[in-house]
Amino acid sequence: MKRFSQLAIPYIVWTVIMLVLPMALIAFYSITEPGNSIFSFSFTLDHYITFFTDPDFLKILWRSLWIAFKTTVICLLIGYPAAYFISRCGERLQSNLILCITLPMWINMLVRTYAWIGLLAEGGLIHRIAAFLIPGERELLYTEGAVLLGMVYNFLPFMILQINTSLCKMDGALLEAGSDLGANPVQIFARITLPLSLPGVVNGITLVFLPAVSSFFIPKLLGGGQYFLIGNMIENQFITVGEWNFGSAVSMVMAFLMMLLMAVVRKLENKNRGGKEEENL
Amino acid sequence: MKKGKRPAGKILMVLVIAFFYLPILYMIVFSFNESRSLTGFTGFSLRWYERMLESRTMREALYTTFSIALVATFVSTVVGTVSAIGLSKSRKVIRNIMEQVDNLPMMNPEIVTAIGFMLLFITFRVEKGYLTMLLAHIAFCIPYVILSVMPKIRSLDPNLADAAMDLGATPWQAMTKVIIPQITPGIVAGALIAFTMSVDDFIISYFAAGGGVKNLSMVVYTMSKRINPSINAASTLMVVIITIVLILVNVLPKRKASGEIKKRKVFIPAAMAFAAVAVLAVFLRAGSNSGTGPFEGQTLHIYTWGEYTGENIVSDFEEETGAKVILETFDSNEQMYIKVANGESFDILVPSDYMIQRLISEGYLQKLDQAQLSGLDNLAGSVKNLPYDPGNQYSVPYFWGTVGIVYDKTKVDIEDLEREGFNIFLDEKYRGDIYLYDSERDSFMMALKALGYSMNTENMEEIQEAFEWLTQCVRTMDPEIVTDEIIDNMVQGRKALGLIYSGDATYVMSENENMGYYLPETGTNIWSDAMVIPANAENPDLAHVFINFACDYDGAYDNSSFVGYTAANEEVMEVLSGEGGEFEGINAYIPRTDNDMDEVFEYNENTRKVISNLWSRIKIAASNAN
Repeated sequence: MKRFSQLAIPYIVWTVIMLVLPMALIAFYSITEPGNSIFSFSFTLDHYITFFTDPDFLKILWRSLWIAFKTTVICLLIGYPAAYFISRCGERLQSNLILCITLPMWINMLVRTYAWIGLLAEGGLIHRIAAFLIPGERELLYTEGAVLLGMVYNFLPFMILQINTSLCKMDGALLEAGSDLGANPVQIFARITLPLSLPGVVNGITLVFLPAVSSFFIPKLLGGGQYFLIGNMIENQFITVGEWNFGSAVSMVMAFLMMLLMAVVRKLENKNRGGKEEENL
Repeated sequence: MKKGKRPAGKILMVLVIAFFYLPILYMIVFSFNESRSLTGFTGFSLRWYERMLESRTMREALYTTFSIALVATFVSTVVGTVSAIGLSKSRKVIRNIMEQVDNLPMMNPEIVTAIGFMLLFITFRVEKGYLTMLLAHIAFCIPYVILSVMPKIRSLDPNLADAAMDLGATPWQAMTKVIIPQITPGIVAGALIAFTMSVDDFIISYFAAGGGVKNLSMVVYTMSKRINPSINAASTLMVVIITIVLILVNVLPKRKASGEIKKRKVFIPAAMAFAAVAVLAVFLRAGSNSGTGPFEGQTLHIYTWGEYTGENIVSDFEEETGAKVILETFDSNEQMYIKVANGESFDILVPSDYMIQRLISEGYLQKLDQAQLSGLDNLAGSVKNLPYDPGNQYSVPYFWGTVGIVYDKTKVDIEDLEREGFNIFLDEKYRGDIYLYDSERDSFMMALKALGYSMNTENMEEIQEAFEWLTQCVRTMDPEIVTDEIIDNMVQGRKALGLIYSGDATYVMSENENMGYYLPETGTNIWSDAMVIPANAENPDLAHVFINFACDYDGAYDNSSFVGYTAANEEVMEVLSGEGGEFEGINAYIPRTDNDMDEVFEYNENTRKVISNLWSRIKIAASNAN
């Protein structure tokens, strides 16, 4: 079968050029001084020092993590019950509901986010409903709430689909066995359904939290020019300020932080699962 | 299980689905709106669809989106499938490493992946354009294909291919006749994911494309600052196309499956769907006209401000010369500078005064061939021979104007403006009711002028004071920092006042008569934007022809009347502001030339860096203020 394994060689070369090399370049830029080329350069850690010693930058980093956390929690609170409901429906309805949730994801994210501007702007549908329910003037667009809404809107489908997949994989016989053995619905949910759906929850959290932290067009479209998240800061460094070395350093910090967080989440999940298996033994 | 017994669940489901579809429906409805508004529906009309089909930016964006998606899907599906088969037979170490590496684009924040591509192309001097965008798309699509094909291969009997070959099949036959039919569902799923990822992509295209190549997302992003229902029309078209593709892929095979189950059948509707999209892409392409003329087959690459060219000038120019114009736009001089300094090639740029000075001093521009220029005599005296380019050796003015305060006459007391000038931006009476403009140099200009200093000061203490002035403004006044969003928002009277360019004020005032434009007596920035030819231009001859075209009465009239900025062509300026002219009685259209405190920007590398850094701190402070 050696012959087939050679099929992978071109792809390995391609991967090195298109996936590994770019990351290496970011790392390289982040530790060299501005104005260097790959032929002559001098190393420096200044960019990282600047980032970590400036309270304003740290505040932005913190705000990005915090809003991503809020997004994730909201997605989980809405997404879990929704996914649970779908998984309890008949097969036909289930696949239709899944299609309903997938369909909007096929439409461009930017376009869908742009549509919210009209809804939230003064005189827009949501703005009018809000003004009707709670009288008084307020702005909905260009606020942190709008950004949060945009993020939940964009990332909620990922959460629902992931949790639903893991709920559907579950063996229905387990639930029956549970109830035959005298467990009440709450116990069944807490002791069987929830633990078994955890892999989906973890995947969902990953798929929501990760893009939420780094998103930059949602804050720009719905948060306005004065709303900065870490993604906007990176964009700004590369597109308008032109300080690529500093921008690379911020990117590295973010990439590293994300990998660290994801590693921790996966570890916790494995531990959890490992524990359960031992219990079963 | 128990059906119809979960009212809470049902309500939640209905709400969730309503939440997902509300914006989409809203967008579709408003794509048929008669007026420009995104908030009030005034009547049914197809004008935004017409506008979309007429707009070349839109057509090309749709073409780019779908042609890239098709090619990227095809390549990444083939490569991904073959590689997955190869990897599955590779040694375990290689397989594990590759799986980790493949995860990179999925586990990394997307913006980091995107920046990686950008640095890669720039470091190795690959000119950014259609090809780089395609390469980037293929690169991020392949991992998804592998991810969806791999599990199917794993579930195959590893000896299957061996058995086929023992029975006399060649390796090629073993792969195409035995392995691939078994993993078809995985391949189709992978191709679909790749297709949507590519159509949906914004971040990676934004950083990896160049040379005027834009997909729909990028167009939406650059246009989102202004109200533009054409975006809704284009989006509705996308919704329709994608729904058709989905129906073909999802529904048709299910129906057939009831009869004869043959997995290869999935390919047929999928292929049909892709073919339909391909035909559409070609159709969109065919719409772009190619005229005949002296410059037939040549292209002119213009890099200018967004919303800065007339309605017809580009198509008229193409018709007259037979050349094709690629128009790329920027939001700020700094953004343009970065691209030029990175060696991207354009034939014409339209930067502002101080930036022209910088480009000249750094050797990025070429001298104009005066023999080829015809329109200089038509230009207003106040825009010629300015200090940034004495004798107009490098530049021909395009638009000019001032920076001032646009205000709602019903909300702002003119006496406050006259008394306070730019200091009205610190007047708590207007707290939460002001717009700042996201431009480092004009924000500092405002602060320095408010403090009574020169806007070209090199004195760091004065700059520091201006920094504190602006910081106080963002901390206490709760301003919104915007760019072009100010235009439609002031037309609708959303806030009391804001810092604005005179040309935008002209448009605002022509749409809403309650709006006024005020220039503080302490002076302001008299700016001009001019056409220049970069040193690395590929077609300087054609660039000269365009410069003449834009300076002539017709070209300048089209530009100025459509955009609202003041024409450098004196006659056009007089006609438009004169009796019966489009901008009659609008004081913002005629720049002030009789105040000694007004200044023109000069370029200074040292203060630019300081101001640029301080401005990004002010924005961060504004963002941290609430």
